[in-house]
Amino acid sequence: MKKKKNQSDRAFEKSESIIAKPFEDTPEEKRTVLRSRAKRLSQEIESKGRDEEYFEVLEFLLAHETYAIETPFIREVYPMTEITPLSCTPAFVFGLVNIRGQILTVIDMKKFFDLPERGITNLNKIIVVRKDAMELGILANEIIGIRNIPVNGLQPPLSTLTGIHAEYLKGVTGERLIVLDMERFLTDRRLIVNEEVET
Amino acid sequence: MNKKNGDFQKRLLSTFRAEADEHLKNITAGLIELEKDLDPQVKAGIIETVFREAHSLKGAARAVNQTDIETICQSLESVFSALKRQEIDPGPFMFDTLHQTVDILNELNLSSPEGVRTDKAKLAGIIEKIAKVETGQTDVLSGLPEHPAIQADDIVRRQERMPSDTIRISVEKIDLLLRQGEELLSLKLMADQHSDDIHDLINMFEVWQKQWSKIYSTICEFRRLQERNDKQGKKRRKDDKQNYKVLEFGDLTHDNMKVFESKLIELRRTGDRHRYTTALMVENLLEEMKKILMLPFSTLLEAFPKFVRDLSRDQGKDIELVISGEGIEIDRRILEEMRVVFIHLLRNAIDHGIEKPEVRLRNKKSPRGKIKIMVTSMEGNKVDILLSDDGNGMDMPALKDAAIKRGIISLEDAAKLTDQDLPAIVFQSGVSTSPVITDISGRGLGLAIVREKIEKLGGQIVLETHRHTGTSFRMTLPLTMITFRGLHVTVAEREFIISTTNVEKVVRVKHEEIKTVENRDTLSLSGMTIPLLRLADVLELTEKNGDLPMMTVLILESQGKRVGFIVNEVLNELEVLIKSLSQPLTRVRNIAGATILGSGKVVPVLNISDLMKSAAKAAVYGPKPDRPEANGEVTRKSVLVVEDSITSRMLLKNILETAGYLVVTAVDGIDAMTLLKTEKFDVVISDVDMPRMNGFNLTEKIRGDKKLAELPVVLVTALESREDKERGIDVGANAYIVKSSFDQSNLLEVIRRLV
Repeated sequence: MKKKKNQSDRAFEKSESIIAKPFEDTPEEKRTVLRSRAKRLSQEIESKGRDEEYFEVLEFLLAHETYAIETPFIREVYPMTEITPLSCTPAFVFGLVNIRGQILTVIDMKKFFDLPERGITNLNKIIVVRKDAMELGILANEIIGIRNIPVNGLQPPLSTLTGIHAEYLKGVTGERLIVLDMERFLTDRRLIVNEEVET
Repeated sequence: MNKKNGDFQKRLLSTFRAEADEHLKNITAGLIELEKDLDPQVKAGIIETVFREAHSLKGAARAVNQTDIETICQSLESVFSALKRQEIDPGPFMFDTLHQTVDILNELNLSSPEGVRTDKAKLAGIIEKIAKVETGQTDVLSGLPEHPAIQADDIVRRQERMPSDTIRISVEKIDLLLRQGEELLSLKLMADQHSDDIHDLINMFEVWQKQWSKIYSTICEFRRLQERNDKQGKKRRKDDKQNYKVLEFGDLTHDNMKVFESKLIELRRTGDRHRYTTALMVENLLEEMKKILMLPFSTLLEAFPKFVRDLSRDQGKDIELVISGEGIEIDRRILEEMRVVFIHLLRNAIDHGIEKPEVRLRNKKSPRGKIKIMVTSMEGNKVDILLSDDGNGMDMPALKDAAIKRGIISLEDAAKLTDQDLPAIVFQSGVSTSPVITDISGRGLGLAIVREKIEKLGGQIVLETHRHTGTSFRMTLPLTMITFRGLHVTVAEREFIISTTNVEKVVRVKHEEIKTVENRDTLSLSGMTIPLLRLADVLELTEKNGDLPMMTVLILESQGKRVGFIVNEVLNELEVLIKSLSQPLTRVRNIAGATILGSGKVVPVLNISDLMKSAAKAAVYGPKPDRPEANGEVTRKSVLVVEDSITSRMLLKNILETAGYLVVTAVDGIDAMTLLKTEKFDVVISDVDMPRMNGFNLTEKIRGDKKLAELPVVLVTALESREDKERGIDVGANAYIVKSSFDQSNLLEVIRRLV
């Protein structure tokens, strides 16, 4: 009985010393511990970042082809609601849509890039993209999802891959996913409608 | 009254404090950036920013009478301006001085308005130091810049200022909020609809109830008969039981109807209350939101003194801009739209209005011209803006001639025009008396755009001009975005809104009433012949059903002209808020904007002046216009392009050929003269700087030649200086386009005007 008590006493002393220890650390010791922890943490992230750099894209279906847009250009994806066609505009202007009180122009990329219409496709999503003051909706058949693409996995585009001219393409992944160059597209002067009635 | 004024001063000063703080922070940030080793181009951008910050701070300080701050900013501004011109090299002495200056400015800004405690010696010292920097001296560095210890009362003052009563929110966030607020209008409309439905339901119920009460008395009579029969102990028949069932159901219905009635009345009461509170809440919210969006005119106008100074200096003119009433607040969106208007009008005033100092002296005017912008509040939530110059006024007879020449008014009409009518034609597209087209103005489009903008905002503009004493434009604008009354119409199964103010009347016309005059459909209306068009045709749509035997015609009136437009149906008249279309739709033919209906549907709003123009165009080509190009080679105009650079030559040739012109090229003036002797051209487009014979000499040669004297010449040049532009005018060029601002539409528009 006495022995047993001794044992538990010792165990108690031990745990007490463990509990008390951090409080006994000198500021110097604490700093060392923290510094080594910080070093460990920083190294881990560094090694992760060096090997693979990714960028995020939204993958979608348009005219039976899969395309991708970098997510920084995307404001939101909106379900297709009532679209008002607009007269006296080029064919690529599909119409106007009301997104929470904002009137937004919806563009049909098939018309803009002169892609062949292959059968009936069900357009049911609007991808809202923007760069500076330029803000518009792009018609899409279906949203596939968001995924990460390794930066160095992007190859220069081949114009034979799709009907879209190579200058509007950022690149093609190994799985032949076509990444559109939104920067180029949204700053294209051909996109701007500015017409007066001629007299 | 005095107290009120004092309160206002206090509020103004606290606004200034917040603004000054912002400017100083930006200047400091800029200075810090500049000290870094940066790309020269990036540096230039930063210098420009700090320069503008110092300038804005100076202006703001002047407005609240903070002369010390103003004086220092003046010095700061000249240092930055010298830096901009790269007259001085930034060095450590400069940066130290500038940082010290900002510190002092901060101190001045923090000091209480009652007692200015910064000693004058310190101010004089820093100004002297800045002056040294400006002249590029690198004074002996007196050790480290002095950093006076923050005194106790300084700390107290800083803390006092901490809780600020203004916050800065990005415009984007506010706009989003406003848009969502406007969406609530549909909630209000829904509540209206709901309430109307309940009222309808009650009306239907009341009719039913009346019918029921008639039949119920019959039912009661029937029951009495039945009961009497029973009492008399007559033999019960088989269908008696069923009779009682029907009677019971009658009673039940009678009771239920009473319950229904009270329930319906309760529903009507809550529905009405719902409608009332929703309307009140939504309207109050929108009203408050509108107030948030109000900004003083100064936010727009403060940029103009510099704009006027730069532009007038470039023109060799001395012009002062006087602004008053800039504190009046107006909806930010209106202010934004007005930027273009002010720029157009100021450019006009500087380019055409104010004369050169020597001319002014000759006319016994002060050599310095004056442009005034006066903003005054008016009753009924409106503001009046007067923009006037003391220049030479407009040459009205010349304008009349120009309008006749451009086919805007006919000779007979011109004869009928009174002096009061004349100013109106200035606002017509394409009227300009400027003998030469420059990049600044002269194409006659400016005022048409100005009028269009202002009318779109629900405002008005009138012009008053007196030969030799000046021109003034008086504009009346609403202070908040107003809703328009619009007719909701359908055309070719699409919906459109047309502003009611331009609809003179709506008439129903039989097909036989349409008469064709000079190959054009017209309509006779109370003795007047009005041209008639199908709106579907103008909007490039096709009406599926074709013409109906009875047609609905809108008679639109604008600028004294009347045109009838056939529509499919007029649905109703609505109150709408017009929203501008945004990028990529900069401008769409015939469409002024769009609106969102209560249902959430987007409906385009038509642009009346475009519709009128389209109507005028249709008049030229007849009701079914043949494309003018179809007439073939005969009408194609030929252009001689004179340019020594092969790239520019190819570019011009390409642009012009795409636009349908026949193009011949020449490599220099001598080459061009040879070609001009053998072939006939409609216009010459020439570079200025060329070997052998330059563009000026070529123009002179053309003007000197009897056969070619009338040939239009357009000079396209890389030289952007006033002397060159004047030289171009002197030798007789019709237009002068600077390459730096060169864009296709500009060039094509100029050519179209000349040939």
